[in-house]
Amino acid sequence: MEKYQITAVGDQAVAISFANRIDPQINQRLHQIGRLILQADFPAVQTVVPAYRTLTVLFDGSRTTADQVSAEIEPIIKQALQVALPPSRTWLIPVLYGGDMGPDLSTVADFAHLSDQEAVNAYTSHDYLIYFLGFLPGFAYMASVPDRLAMPRLEKPRLKIPAGSVGIAGHQTGFYPVESPGGWRIIGRTPLKLYDPHNPQSFYSAGDSVRFFAIDRDQFAVIQQADRQGTYQVRTVEK
Amino acid sequence: MMATIDVLKPGFQTTVQDAGRPDHLIDGFPEAGSMDAQAMKVANILVDNQPDQPVLEFTLHGPSLRFNGPGFIAITGADFAVQLNQRPVDQYRCLQVRAGDLLTIGATSTGRFGYLAVSGGFRLPKVMGSCATILRLHLGGYRGRQLRAGDQLPFSSRATMSSYYHRHTAAPAPSQPKAPVSIRLLPGPQWAEFSHADQERLTASIFEVTSNSDRMGYRLQGPRLESSQQSMLSAATVRGGIQVPNNGQPIVLMADRQTTGGYPLIAVVVTADLSKLVQCRPGQKVKFSLVNLAQATKLLRTQRAQLDHLAAQIRAAKYQQPIGRNRVASRRIQQLFD
Repeated sequence: MEKYQITAVGDQAVAISFANRIDPQINQRLHQIGRLILQADFPAVQTVVPAYRTLTVLFDGSRTTADQVSAEIEPIIKQALQVALPPSRTWLIPVLYGGDMGPDLSTVADFAHLSDQEAVNAYTSHDYLIYFLGFLPGFAYMASVPDRLAMPRLEKPRLKIPAGSVGIAGHQTGFYPVESPGGWRIIGRTPLKLYDPHNPQSFYSAGDSVRFFAIDRDQFAVIQQADRQGTYQVRTVEK
Repeated sequence: MMATIDVLKPGFQTTVQDAGRPDHLIDGFPEAGSMDAQAMKVANILVDNQPDQPVLEFTLHGPSLRFNGPGFIAITGADFAVQLNQRPVDQYRCLQVRAGDLLTIGATSTGRFGYLAVSGGFRLPKVMGSCATILRLHLGGYRGRQLRAGDQLPFSSRATMSSYYHRHTAAPAPSQPKAPVSIRLLPGPQWAEFSHADQERLTASIFEVTSNSDRMGYRLQGPRLESSQQSMLSAATVRGGIQVPNNGQPIVLMADRQTTGGYPLIAVVVTADLSKLVQCRPGQKVKFSLVNLAQATKLLRTQRAQLDHLAAQIRAAKYQQPIGRNRVASRRIQQLFD
């Protein structure tokens, strides 16, 4: 389907790069390639790390070389480009928009010439693909935010963004699993605990999708309590 | 048998580290693990461990520890002032410790990171497949944090060690604080997007490791590099990657780096030279030179062969002096302890 390049990144990694754009087709193929490479279980290949349009393959440089790894993965890429994509999960994530939970909602709505409510409706009107997890554990890079809401990030990043905050940076959207500094425009917050050091693996993975739904302050409190007690089940839809 | 090590003084920043969590980069978890992986591996080999078993990593000033059981330890990495029961002892050598022994690791004069391996390893739970501590996530190692006075580290005690007298090796030569440290680079994936002048500047100039350097990355100061203005989509980072943010001052990405980044990578430090760079203190000058991929791979393989050679040498030493009665005696003593 697409042209790609394989380039060495240092002496223990190669990157497979596709066209330089955020494209769900390309990204889903990357995840497919990554899964197949891991399944092939090459002894010197350590792991794979996907991003928007690159899949980086890490290997033990004392046991193999970039050329050898490239030769091994080439047929896998060809194969991955032909097979049908497996069904993906869509996670339904509750979010309380605006107010102190989403201090930038009104700015984004103004940018889009919409009311706050219309902006939320536009934002939640479709699913977002998790292109990859990066920056922080469980920080999901998702796209694409509708054009009119795609406001660039803040000029000056905030020093503290609370855990659970949902933000926009251009066409990207994402949530902050832990409190951190950040420059994304914060439009809301999910009551779900997205990172727990006692159970660090996030429930969602790169390649899954997310559907946000708006909740009110009361629901936020109820879901938060249930989630802390371990009784809240995040709903999924299979596609 | 289980015993503990009491932490009397924790040192400046002492954490448990191993080979980290490369398998969870895909989930956004920093790789973590020992900054000077080579020093960790040597320490483990000296005490008969697997090369990547958990060790203590200490920084600038090491901890003071009391052993509550017998064991064997090795200290590697930068040159620290180490004393066992108030007597100076060598690094890069397997040392026997007995219950009640006091190990004091002082300051380092030339480097940055030191490693303490204990034969049999520390008995700590793995989190996501590793004992590596990530401080900012409160994850892994000893309760997800750096050691404090009063902590008790469980370890496997051991009373005998084969080839004990042969378990030593030469320490790497410490860098001269005045002379620039030579570090070899491979051109990075965005090398071609930098101007010839910038490419030239990277290898012709002297850069300085700034005090703004930690387990995430080392910020360097030198002539400003003009990163190409073309916006880049985030991609996975690698250890040793040299990214150039908008201020034009390069950052070398280290163990706790963010898993993905959007700044162009002008170059990547060859793996064989990472230990040398990691041990550079703030203010240390570095000088870069370019090599090709075949050369980098050769350097890495030579470094790995040194580890294999050390392990093989120790194994072979079983059949050298002292053997005979001593070995028989040690086997009987071992049986008593088992």
